[in-house]
Amino acid sequence: MLLLDLSKSMLAPLPDATPGQPERQKIEVARTAVFRILQDAAASGSLFGLVTFTETVRVAVPLTEIHRENLPYIENLISLLTPSGRSAIWDALAVGADLLRMGTQGVQGNLVLVTDGWDNASTRFDVQVPGGPAIAPGRIDLVPYMLPASSRVSLKIIGIGNGVEKDKGVDSVRMNYLISQMGVRAGQSGLPAIFSFQEVTTGSQLFAQMVNAFLDVGYEDDRPIEELHPEELARHAANAAKALKEPQQHATVSRINSAQLAAKSGPEAAYTETPDIEVDVVTTTGGTTPAYLKERYGPLGEVVEAYMNGQPELALSRLATAAPVLPPVTRLYWEARIQYSNRSVVEAARSLLQAWAEAEKLPPATQPKILRRLALLQARMQNDRETETLVRFIDDTEHRLGSTDPATRERLMELFGKLMELRGTYQLTRLAGSGDLQDAAQKHEEAVDHVFGLLQDARLELSANGPAVEGALDFIEICLAEMR
Amino acid sequence: MPAVKVTTKTRRAPGTKREPKTPAVDSARIAVIGIPASGKTTYFRFLSGHFGLNLPILYIPARADGGQLPLFGDLENDVALEETTYETTDPTDPEGSLETTTRFYVNRPMEDRRKLWVELSAGRDEQGVLTKYPLPTKFNQFVEMKLRFRYGAPGGEGSKPLELNTIDEAGGIIADYFTYDRLWVESADGEVSEKSCRVIPHFDSWRPDRRDLWRRGLTLLGRFVFGADAVILLLSPALPSLRDQAQQVNLARGVFRYAKSHDTPLVIAISKADKLKEFYSEVEQTVRDRSFRSAFDPVDFLLRRDGAGMGTILVAQEGQGISVKDDVFLVSSAVSTGEGHPLFIGEGGQEAPSVGAQTMGVPVMVNTTLPLARACERILARRATKGG
Repeated sequence: MLLLDLSKSMLAPLPDATPGQPERQKIEVARTAVFRILQDAAASGSLFGLVTFTETVRVAVPLTEIHRENLPYIENLISLLTPSGRSAIWDALAVGADLLRMGTQGVQGNLVLVTDGWDNASTRFDVQVPGGPAIAPGRIDLVPYMLPASSRVSLKIIGIGNGVEKDKGVDSVRMNYLISQMGVRAGQSGLPAIFSFQEVTTGSQLFAQMVNAFLDVGYEDDRPIEELHPEELARHAANAAKALKEPQQHATVSRINSAQLAAKSGPEAAYTETPDIEVDVVTTTGGTTPAYLKERYGPLGEVVEAYMNGQPELALSRLATAAPVLPPVTRLYWEARIQYSNRSVVEAARSLLQAWAEAEKLPPATQPKILRRLALLQARMQNDRETETLVRFIDDTEHRLGSTDPATRERLMELFGKLMELRGTYQLTRLAGSGDLQDAAQKHEEAVDHVFGLLQDARLELSANGPAVEGALDFIEICLAEMR
Repeated sequence: MPAVKVTTKTRRAPGTKREPKTPAVDSARIAVIGIPASGKTTYFRFLSGHFGLNLPILYIPARADGGQLPLFGDLENDVALEETTYETTDPTDPEGSLETTTRFYVNRPMEDRRKLWVELSAGRDEQGVLTKYPLPTKFNQFVEMKLRFRYGAPGGEGSKPLELNTIDEAGGIIADYFTYDRLWVESADGEVSEKSCRVIPHFDSWRPDRRDLWRRGLTLLGRFVFGADAVILLLSPALPSLRDQAQQVNLARGVFRYAKSHDTPLVIAISKADKLKEFYSEVEQTVRDRSFRSAFDPVDFLLRRDGAGMGTILVAQEGQGISVKDDVFLVSSAVSTGEGHPLFIGEGGQEAPSVGAQTMGVPVMVNTTLPLARACERILARRATKGG
């Protein structure tokens, strides 16, 4: 649930990190970020809602599943958002919490507040500041209202401008106090404390805070899995199995270990201060640059645009400029990719190595996806088609399963994990001396049978889940046959 | 080779003719399993020929010891082969429309030898259509066959009559059944449920009538193989399609699971061995030399040179219900040289020309009976130890 400040001050310009770049209005930057978030919600099938506030709080988009066909209407609505008036920040937070209220389960969901000012228009809610006046009669204390018992709510506040001085930016004192108060209440009630406040002073920072993105571009010869003939699918699976059977020749695969594949995402993941990075892969047709890269992805979009236009030097210089607002792994990945396209193989390899190191620090929810993007680039650089096929298939499957329920996705990813574990037992059948060959072969066959059993159970339970699930299961079944 | 006449008879009118007496024999229920187009039908037809239906087949024993195979046709019996076809004429009929037709192939003097090595399928003769090769089983058809033969030393008392009871089908139903152990029925009247059929890839996307046919077929096969005395697994080498290769490997693993969990003797026949050049060139030489000896070592070939890509799997199964040395055979029905050209060896051992005037050649059947002989050996040994 995004709470967006539409007070008049949002019309003010926000400097950009890139020298020479025109300043953009805060609302303009925020709008492009919302477009991007919407697009992601449509692709993943996740819920999204938008509350805008001036002195009045409005529900612009109720919490709903975003479908691709509705996207133009919602985007049109967002483009019409025009700032005016003052800011009822506390009232807006209360409305946002109300939209996520689930009866006895309290408030369940994620709130993101984007504001550039001080609360000067709330009529119903308030936040108590130490040493400040007491909450006026008739006003409600926001903190307990947002955190009733059993709640599981995260709050991320993105404050625009440095607001130590009133009307020059976000009210950082109150925001910090709100965050700490919520932390204290969460601690007392035994609720998870997932609250953060981040100030931004440039357009790029604002965008990066709203959209912490890892953007990648598909390779020219990529073909969607669903377009493959069954025999081609089988060939892909056989190729992928080679990557599992010959680890010495396919070292990259070991970086995507089964634990990462089976990493659970969602509410059970441990909270971390490092924000999740959203991973987007833009596909291109006929070498054309996708539209709105800059608008949708901010500074990173500009880098990718130059790269796709065949201007590696410009792309590298834009990347250097945008570096402060990009997650390190994103920057290093693009450095490697651009250098590789520019035939600077040594530099590319160095950057990619650093990217791997950075990726290890990522939170578990996004780490597997990013590791696979890195693995794909490494496989390209090493001309390792087998690893590329394997990683692409896992990646494509996960992407295509975006709209299916998380349990199905997790189940399939777990199966992929088990498939990759077979590398170990298979290797033993190759390494064993003649005496223990039979023992090794037996262990491997037992392991294969076990995975085949899991595959059958998955088919029985997930059969009505559409071609993406079927395709993934077919791939695993063929890979299993190849592990002989 | 004794002259035998093959007659076919479908749906005899009541009271017109006596039904051939079923001989009192030990019966062995053996499931012959393979993926679609692995050669199951051909295997059955050539076995029929071997047991007295008088296909002019050149049989080459592969055992280096020169010992005689203890398998031969039971020509004393009136009925050499009994073939019952179950055919679903209207799979959508809720009452069930499984039509059965039984044909009896009996021992009679042969009138025209040339007619006899044509396809044994009923009706073809009457239509005047002569085909060289066995016809594929129809998609909606199961054929249950009872082959009568003798096992043991040749000559009356030294051998005992046996009946091989087996089912031929098309479309991979039997392959699906064994591949996916979630389908297995564990009683003689068990039923494969619609739900468990979903373990078959893309089952839900099939037409309802095909789904129903498949479920019924699986049930029929499941009941048939329940308590089977032995299993012969046909593996086809050099399958061009990767999907077929994958299907075959997964089937093999399923069959190994089945044999192990049901303690059923398992024999493996690498069919279409004529696709394996190295194997075939040796067989060809043997035919030319009339040596009736082969030093070819199937185990060495399978394990060291990976003839059917099954080396590791076979090694893993050693001692787990099979012995790689004793239970794995390379067989060939040799309907082609592997290049699509029919291979006919003339009576003099020469290769028949593929162009020009039609030559009456002899289809070469190599080792086809070895897996069956081994299966019988194991079944009888087992019965002896269990006092059965």
